[in-house]
Amino acid sequence: MISVKNLSHTYSNNKKLAVNNISFDVAKGETFGFLGPSGAGKSTTQGILTGLLKQQSGEVSVAGYDTMKVENERFNKIGVSFEQSNVYGKLTAKENLEFYAKLFDVPTRDAIELIHLIGLEGKENDRAETFSKGMKHRLTFARSMINNPELWFLDEPTTGLDPTIAATIKDIIREKTIGGTTAFLTTHNMYIADDLCDRVAFIIDGKIVLVDTPKNLKLQYGQKLVDIEYINDGNVVKETLKTIDEQDRLRVGEIVNKYEIQTMHTKEATLEEIFIQVTGRRLV
Amino acid sequence: MKLLSSYIKEMKIAARGFYFYIEVGFAVILLLILLVAVNESSVSKNYEFLYYDMSDELFDVYYSSSIEDGFVEVSDNTSFEAKALSFEVTNEETGAVTSYDFDKTTYDVKTYMMYDRDTGEFNKYLYITDTEEAMIHLSYAEKKVGATTRFSDDYDVEYDYFIQGFETQRLRDLMYVVHNESQDVLMETVNSIEVRKLGEVEILNNRENLVPVMIVFMGSLMGFFIVMAYIFLDKAEGVIRAFAVTPSSVWKYLLSKIMVITTTVLVSSSIIAIPVMGLQPNYLLFYLLLIVTTFAFAALGLLVASYFDSISKSFGVLYGTMIALMIPAFSYFIPSFDPVWLRFFPTYPMLQGFKEIIMVNTDVGYVLAYSGVFLVSGLILFLLANIRFKKTLTV
Repeated sequence: MISVKNLSHTYSNNKKLAVNNISFDVAKGETFGFLGPSGAGKSTTQGILTGLLKQQSGEVSVAGYDTMKVENERFNKIGVSFEQSNVYGKLTAKENLEFYAKLFDVPTRDAIELIHLIGLEGKENDRAETFSKGMKHRLTFARSMINNPELWFLDEPTTGLDPTIAATIKDIIREKTIGGTTAFLTTHNMYIADDLCDRVAFIIDGKIVLVDTPKNLKLQYGQKLVDIEYINDGNVVKETLKTIDEQDRLRVGEIVNKYEIQTMHTKEATLEEIFIQVTGRRLV
Repeated sequence: MKLLSSYIKEMKIAARGFYFYIEVGFAVILLLILLVAVNESSVSKNYEFLYYDMSDELFDVYYSSSIEDGFVEVSDNTSFEAKALSFEVTNEETGAVTSYDFDKTTYDVKTYMMYDRDTGEFNKYLYITDTEEAMIHLSYAEKKVGATTRFSDDYDVEYDYFIQGFETQRLRDLMYVVHNESQDVLMETVNSIEVRKLGEVEILNNRENLVPVMIVFMGSLMGFFIVMAYIFLDKAEGVIRAFAVTPSSVWKYLLSKIMVITTTVLVSSSIIAIPVMGLQPNYLLFYLLLIVTTFAFAALGLLVASYFDSISKSFGVLYGTMIALMIPAFSYFIPSFDPVWLRFFPTYPMLQGFKEIIMVNTDVGYVLAYSGVFLVSGLILFLLANIRFKKTLTV
């Protein structure tokens, strides 16, 4: 669904490459996470893929269209949810969605249905300027689904949302991708990437340093750990031991046999820990 | 269909914002000013300063017949206070330069009221000073034409005109022609010319004369300003980016903005023009010129807006352009101020075009020619704006 070969991009008057010779493919129906800290080149890449930025070099194909050629009909297959909400404040939630629906040449979803889906029941006829930041963000997210996109660009889809709403948004994304929609998820939130993505790419300083499935990454870079809390001479002692280390495994058995166990949890490495391990940088 | 949807959406936004009501409200206020505060007939005071370099007896003889015939009426003396001034006067024939240095002075001048010989309507005031210096001081201070009149040794009347320097060559030539032939020859020539009236000469009254200025500035300046305001509102909300990722084109988005501005200008201009002008203008030409000029200026506004992020950053260009566009109004109200460079301002032909349209004897060719020029200019500006907007979309 997406094919990127040797893509580079620089902003005017700045010789530094914002995106530096990156290549990757996203298969139809796949949820692809594009992960990296702020300024890594995530938004620039998404901008080129969505046509908001002019492609300067490389070969890019999106939903079967060459992005070097200006063909607006490709947007009938594409949905874009922006990180910064961008809806008409003077229009109501319903009017916002109905207006955008008319701009597409394909069957579109019902505005009211989408408003209910994102939990804005009762707000259909309220102007967007009266909405909170989170509500506007949800409306922006809903708008990206108006044309039933085959390819869905999601830029930080849960940023600024409370955990309940974020969970609802994640469920909607999961449901859509199970239904066959390809998703290109740009985020610096490793938990949502881990939760939703089939594959992730780590991008830093404009370069992709790694592309793989979260599971493979955890197997390759992660170490299974066990956190144990036990009582020793009346004191609570905490130890973290590696399950793949022979000495540590014996130590786990010793603690279990000898002491009163208070808590014991197995723990696998998070994507964030792997990102730090691979890139030496934090996701901020 | 997409363009129509965009237009309807823009109209909804405009109707829920305040710019639309500012434009319409402003038009209503201007109409009220025209109807209530501006008299239809001219009440402006046309006057000139004269000095007669002759004895009182000769002066009385000079005016006696006109007073007897009722073309000139003696009025009470008028008091003028002229501020302190220093200036030079150049004799255009000899090149001699004379310097003057006046203190602040109050002059008490003889006042005559002059009436038109054909219609009998009041024409102008003649202020007759006691000295030539007083005439020169007052002419310069009041920015009016002054003249010294004398008799030569052969009892021919001679005139020295004191003009401001900005008068057109046509006016200067007229002064030479009128006085360089003897009155008899002139009268003989004038009487031998056969004058055929091609139609009723329509003179706009004061109220009608203001309509073109208001239409031009409500249309061009407000259209230019408001389209920029709409764009900056959208830039602040980020909706242009959302529009750019739909199958609809950016040019449709931009054109829908112009369509809203045009609708607003049509409403506001009609509010002013129809009650004042009634059925007199050629409304087909009126709305044609209004639409193409609004299109051109709104396209200019779009192009300028593409270079800035917010209205505050664009203030310099915005006000500079608006002030420049207003300059031709000086020529409109002061016909003697008509330098060639002023004709390159787009508002100059607009003012003349709207004036032509509201006259009975409209020069259709002039209006159509300039409508074409504005249409082509607008299309070029619109294309440039479209290219700029596509280039300046950001992630």
